Amino acid sequence: MEKKLYDNVCEEQLFSSIFNKHSENLFQFLYYKFGSLLNPRDKVQEAFIKLWQNCSKVPPEKARSFLFTTANNLMLNEVAHQKVVLKHQQEKPKNYTHENPEFLMQEQEYHEKLQKALSNLTEAQRVAFLMNRVEGKRFKEIAEILDISTKAVEKRIYGALEKLRKDIKEL
Amino acid sequence: MDRETLILKWLNNDLNDQELNAFKALDDYDDLMKLQQNLQGFKAETYNTSEEYDALNKALQNKKAQRSKSSWVNPFFRVAAILALCFGLYYYTTTLDTTVTTAMAQRTSIELPDNSSVELNAGSVLAFNKSHWKKERDVKLQGEAFFKVSKGSTFKVITSNGTVTVYGTQFNVKQRNNYFEVICYEGLVGVTYDTLETKLKPGDRFLIIDGKMIAKEKELRSKPSWINHESTFESMPYSRVIAEFERQYAVSVKLENVDATQLFTGSFTHDDINLALKSITLPLNVTYNKSNDKITIKGD
Repeated sequence: MEKKLYDNVCEEQLFSSIFNKHSENLFQFLYYKFGSLLNPRDKVQEAFIKLWQNCSKVPPEKARSFLFTTANNLMLNEVAHQKVVLKHQQEKPKNYTHENPEFLMQEQEYHEKLQKALSNLTEAQRVAFLMNRVEGKRFKEIAEILDISTKAVEKRIYGALEKLRKDIKEL
Repeated sequence: MDRETLILKWLNNDLNDQELNAFKALDDYDDLMKLQQNLQGFKAETYNTSEEYDALNKALQNKKAQRSKSSWVNPFFRVAAILALCFGLYYYTTTLDTTVTTAMAQRTSIELPDNSSVELNAGSVLAFNKSHWKKERDVKLQGEAFFKVSKGSTFKVITSNGTVTVYGTQFNVKQRNNYFEVICYEGLVGVTYDTLETKLKPGDRFLIIDGKMIAKEKELRSKPSWINHESTFESMPYSRVIAEFERQYAVSVKLENVDATQLFTGSFTHDDINLALKSITLPLNVTYNKSNDKITIKGD
């Protein structure tokens, strides 16, 4: 059997590389799943603190799932106390060419519809979809982050796209 | 290529030029582009990994500081507590009085910390404190003992009847029921009795029986007789002689028709019970009867 270089993540360099590799993905995962109200940034920190405190028990290959599970649980603990209000960033893209009032109103309307439709997606769909569409991640990367198959990611994203478009049309 | 495949390829950024054209030709191309553009507004807040890492390190350092308080200060206090306990126990046991007890028919000699020596007669208790010895040479005595005190600070023998203060000497203290006798053999001895101190020069004798001071003639021997395995009495009530006899041989003596208050002068040996019995009966014209440890002395 191959001897592992590290059998836990207590080594500071290893810990730091794990942070660099996973923290942003974890943040985005939490953000797209739970919205910004529940402070995903803090949850990432808390999850990494927990990882450090338990570093002797966590082998490096388990670090990712430890972090995601811990952060997710931290979120869920808070969700239990308050209903999720999805409030994604309201900032609008600034590349308008013709800004007449009617167009602006239409845009505003569309934006609101989109927001509602996003809220109606399942958490799994929303996370995969926004990571792909907004963060520009490819299926394979998302599959690695979420620890699921590429096929499943494809399904989630395509399903999300179809559902969004249908919802927007209906609203 | 069907619509779904094209869209999937678009989603995964996999379209080649030809496919891109086909995708652009789709009915819902504009729709998708509008959606795509609007979705950008939902982008997650920017996340600066190195800033976040610094913040994490800060948080961890605080945790570490907290942890170190509980993780090494606590064991430190544990060790300190054990040490304090051990030291306390050590201190307590070493400052306890050392007590030497002799049973009936038993004698012992004790070496005190400063090489003073004590001969402890039968049925006596001597207590002294080793750790305080340098500060105060006090011994507590119940019974009879012969002291050879080496030079040094004041040496005190504390008994329930009185305190003997020694100024470097040899002396005998005898404290029995209502009986207190001090004989000085060498040097100078002070006897405090009822807050009154009497100084004894060599050969002087201090005797209290039943609270009454009794004057006696000078002692001429250089040592008490019991040191040489003999008890000597001069005009001593007979009951005291019998009590001493009982102590030396660990027996009980019953008197029948014998006046216990009559005075006895003489001695008995500690080595031969029959000879000793004769010594204390013949002069008084009484007979004795001995069976096991019970001795009966009969008068006429």
